[in-house]
Amino acid sequence: MSSRRSHRARRLAALALPALVAGVLASLAGAKSGRETGVFVVGVDGMDPVILRRLMDEGHMPNFAKLASEGSFQSLGTSNPPQSPVAWSNFVTGMNPGGHGIFDFIHRDPATYHPISSATPPAGDPGPALRFFGYVIPLSAPEVRNNRGGTPWWDVLVEEGVDVEVFRIPGNFPTPESEAKVLDGMGTVDVRGGFGTYTLYTDTLVEKDDPKGDVEVVSVQDLDLDGTPDTVSGVLRGPPDQFRLEPGETPGDGDYLTRGVTIHLDPGPGPGPYEGGNGALPTAVVEVAGQRTLLQQGEWSDWVEVPFDVLPMGLMTVRGTVRFYAKELRPRFQVYASPVNVSPSDPAVPITSPDDFVKEVFEETGFFYTQGLPEDTDALNDGVFDDDDYLKQVALVQEDTRRLVDLALDRFEPGDATFVYLSDIDLQCHMLWRHEDPKHPGAPPHPAHDPAVAPKHAGDIESFYRDVDRLLGDVRRRLPPETLLVVMSDHGFQPFTRDVHLNAWLRDQGYLRLKDGKTTGHIVAGDVDWSKTRAYGLGFNGLYLNLAGREAEGIVDPAEAPALLDEIARGLEALRDPANGARVVRDADRADRVYSGDRRAEGPDLVVGYDRGYGCSDESTLGEITEGVIEDNTSRWSGNHLMSPAVVPGILLVNRKLAADGHDLTDLTVTLLSHYGIEARPGMIGEPIL
Amino acid sequence: MIELYNGASSALFDVVMAPFGHRFPLFDLLLWPVLMGIGALQVYKYVSNQKAIARVKSQISMRLLEIRLFSHDILQVLRSTGGILLRNGLYLGHNLLPLAVMIVPITALMVQLVAHYAYAPSPAGAVELLRVELDPRAGVSSRDVSLELPAGVALDAPGVRTADGQVFWRLRAEREGDHVLKVAVGGETYEKAWAVGGDPRKVPVKRLRSWEALLYPGEPALPAAGPLRSLELAAHTRPLRFLPEGEVGILLWTLVLSLVAGFSLKGLFGVTI
Repeated sequence: MSSRRSHRARRLAALALPALVAGVLASLAGAKSGRETGVFVVGVDGMDPVILRRLMDEGHMPNFAKLASEGSFQSLGTSNPPQSPVAWSNFVTGMNPGGHGIFDFIHRDPATYHPISSATPPAGDPGPALRFFGYVIPLSAPEVRNNRGGTPWWDVLVEEGVDVEVFRIPGNFPTPESEAKVLDGMGTVDVRGGFGTYTLYTDTLVEKDDPKGDVEVVSVQDLDLDGTPDTVSGVLRGPPDQFRLEPGETPGDGDYLTRGVTIHLDPGPGPGPYEGGNGALPTAVVEVAGQRTLLQQGEWSDWVEVPFDVLPMGLMTVRGTVRFYAKELRPRFQVYASPVNVSPSDPAVPITSPDDFVKEVFEETGFFYTQGLPEDTDALNDGVFDDDDYLKQVALVQEDTRRLVDLALDRFEPGDATFVYLSDIDLQCHMLWRHEDPKHPGAPPHPAHDPAVAPKHAGDIESFYRDVDRLLGDVRRRLPPETLLVVMSDHGFQPFTRDVHLNAWLRDQGYLRLKDGKTTGHIVAGDVDWSKTRAYGLGFNGLYLNLAGREAEGIVDPAEAPALLDEIARGLEALRDPANGARVVRDADRADRVYSGDRRAEGPDLVVGYDRGYGCSDESTLGEITEGVIEDNTSRWSGNHLMSPAVVPGILLVNRKLAADGHDLTDLTVTLLSHYGIEARPGMIGEPIL
Repeated sequence: MIELYNGASSALFDVVMAPFGHRFPLFDLLLWPVLMGIGALQVYKYVSNQKAIARVKSQISMRLLEIRLFSHDILQVLRSTGGILLRNGLYLGHNLLPLAVMIVPITALMVQLVAHYAYAPSPAGAVELLRVELDPRAGVSSRDVSLELPAGVALDAPGVRTADGQVFWRLRAEREGDHVLKVAVGGETYEKAWAVGGDPRKVPVKRLRSWEALLYPGEPALPAAGPLRSLELAAHTRPLRFLPEGEVGILLWTLVLSLVAGFSLKGLFGVTI
């Protein structure tokens, strides 16, 4: 609190006059200015207006209903495409993708046709290195930068003297420099540099052939030879061993710093009375880096901070934090370790601006998930978690979120601007929609529906909505009543029942050709004959022309591009699902018609807006050309929003009466500025909603 | 012996430390390091050979001067350098006796400061791990170890007995107080104190039986011939606001402050260091 006040004091001197003028003008106008009231924004990723309306009408969301009746509730236009990194970038910068340059989760490198991260484009030349007793010491560090362009609204507010705190904003990693206090959210990596790799120590194989986590098949040893297996040894991988890797080298499985993990299992009831009582669950002690945690089967540990030695004897360490879950101890053995998060007590990479804001948060809240997408959907998809395991883990994430929201509320003072992000709804809609469609009650079962477990979990998504409602009640109780309160979501949700292999459709239509008479293959594997390919798909909604002068082996004359795009768009919009005759693509938008801004040329040429129930398959998203074009989505990833923006609008609730509707995310950006009497910055395309 | 030493130092320092209570750590953490520095000066003054030390320092200065004056004469420089090394050895030798005299009270003071101020009582409601380590030479099975809990402490999960002779219990502090846990093994009962809630105070952390027990005077050492090697509960570091905290923080703070005090006051006390 004190640092926030000192920041305010510094600003005050420089900005007293404009603030005074603004205050006087606002007083004359009879309204309190943003500098007096402040603004508190609750961003609820994935909250859907149709579901919300139904639950409000049924009386399950009393706090939302109260806010709607006292203020306004309407749908909020999302981004095109309605993907979280894109949508949140719209909200952050007030631009569309043509301005901020984030078009999809996945972009492509026109020089190689390979998919690349939209958040972090490949770093430049890694530079030379010295080799010294087996160590590789880089002589320069390639710049790793955030690809998002534009000016975040918090930077504008801070420049104008407003105290801003932003908690878990998506798409802000790598962390841009800022004087605003910003904690990164979605997109923040774990210590391995990825989006989160779990470890499973198991004595049995998992159901998936290619799990995304580290699955260590272990045996439970009987160290004391008493006939009861008692001890498991495993390895926990930490950050890449940078001093052993050549500059720019991608780490392989053996290129990570590690820590040994020992798990001691209790032998169970002995000859005397067992203190757990009859039927007690087995217990174990997990030991890593000299720290021990005792778990009963089914329990999660607290955070364990683990140092990984970059140099011997602890001369240089990287700290990560991990939680263990004793999924099953006997008779099978399965202990899960979360992805090793960047430690908020001593972060290996900046995850906040200013760099030390994370320590300020840590001192108030203790350890928390710093990983951008903390809900371990990979573990659920891989069958490592069942739904019950997953929900237990989600509850831990919720606890962290609540503590961060509490902290944000504790620190909020009139005149401040604060944003808090809730992931509760989004990932749970992705993963749990298959149990029951909360948007279309009575809809046919999802292809991944399992009648054996569905009844138990049918109401889970609604339960998460109710959790957010309770949180909103707390927020309203604790905020000064005159604070401008905005509750918004980046997009809504729809079922995801059918996978569309866009590249297979392009092949079937003759736009994409493979080499050597192949019918299936992969762009990354070099299977595409670029000399005969006119269009290809990469990313969840992106379709690119193989444009001469832009792509490495481009063949499409730029002059012919508009007509070709119109032709492909018509074809896609005419596509019908052979299984049921339904429309597959609602809108296929030419980028030059929907995007504005300096970075328009970096994005796809056509944005494919799938209709309700349809979405691009993971295979096609990453450049695979499969046999069939449309098939059932049998994955647990069963709800989606990577569709046409028209079918997945978000929500907007404000504790003020709004005169008009039809607002979108970019309108909120300029509203946050105009609330403080600040003009929109060049490139911002929205209009104030108040 | 360890028991006697810990007992004596605790008997003394428990009386003289925290005259205003443990809520004011700054008093003891300023006073005792400074007193330690002054005490060390006095020991140094009367135990060391002050004249010999002054002579050796003077000789080292002379050799340094020789190196500057005769830098063109490589043989002289080498002779002078050798002389400096030799006299440094002599200087260190003159320090051994005072060091031997000081080490015992200084160690006692430092570990007592750690015991009094490095740890905070567990908050009520805290869940902590009790670890019992058996001596494999005692021939006792971990299955033969049992735990008796006082009112106000509950078992949070059944214990874990490991193949390498450790037993763990996860305990929950339900009430404030200075609780006493009883670990029974081989017909003997061993007590372990647990400070929960309440005012800051001297917090017991570990019971050990080797020389390490000297570092943990908060509780009696374990019997050297007994079946237990250690009995320990996880401890909370006490936040000290402006001072370095935890075991290492307090040790470093005490050492540095006493050195500063000693060097600052050596002229006043007429001591040659």
